Amino acid sequence: MIASEFSSKSAKGSNRLGGLSTGSHLLVQAGEYVCALPLVSVRRVVRSLTVHPLPGSAPELEGLAEFGGEPLPVLNLARMVNAAPGANPSYPVTIVVWAGPTEAREIMGLAVDAALEVADVPLSSVVAGGGGFLLGEAPVAGRVVRVLNLEALGRE
Amino acid sequence: MSAPDARGGYLLLRRSGVLWGIDNTMVTGLTRRGDSFRILLGDAALAADEVLCVVDGLRIQPAAALRRFWPGGGPGVTGLAVHGEQPLVIVDPQRPPELLWLDDGADTGEGTDER
Repeated sequence: MIASEFSSKSAKGSNRLGGLSTGSHLLVQAGEYVCALPLVSVRRVVRSLTVHPLPGSAPELEGLAEFGGEPLPVLNLARMVNAAPGANPSYPVTIVVWAGPTEAREIMGLAVDAALEVADVPLSSVVAGGGGFLLGEAPVAGRVVRVLNLEALGRE
Repeated sequence: MSAPDARGGYLLLRRSGVLWGIDNTMVTGLTRRGDSFRILLGDAALAADEVLCVVDGLRIQPAAALRRFWPGGGPGVTGLAVHGEQPLVIVDPQRPPELLWLDDGADTGEGTDER
């Protein structure tokens, strides 16, 4: 399994990613959208995990997977942000993240079409936010990305 | 089929393609029903397509996010765990998920092993 590990050091400017620029967010392709995930919440990027579907689940929930001996629900990020499906991904990945508030965070997987790059996304550049999981949108290198707040993801 | 002798741990079973774990101390009966199984948790009767084993030492993880996205099963779930490399769902014995409820109309009455 190919895996890239992230830590809070990455978000503070220490480049551990070899070939990727330092920054605050990981940009991923989710259908037609590019989404920005805060690096402090990203634990691993792994090749698309095998998922066990759960009957009766919401369309956003692909199912359950196992990673490193831990169970994790896997969500389809494109469906979470209402993105139209993109081209058939050639290298889909699962982003293993911490979700929920810090005091009650949970490990989860986000199925995406591709991990793109690490970029700086200053919170001051985020506009049109709803304050929930979709924090808002921000311009990054000439394109609009959806900035996500993973602390809002696990709330019931 | 005999009920597991060892008490404690989790009874693992498969139903609707999902691997479930039930606190074994809450299981009061296990009955074969043709190709499936009937599991008693006090007054509640559940169904299983397959009964696998009883395991100890599961590391139970929280499942708040799962409950949010799984209305059909999440409310009766207390956590998640892994056995071998298989993720499994831990059942709340006080209110088991509807997916596990037994349809008594199909009871064949074969082999019984009540505890």
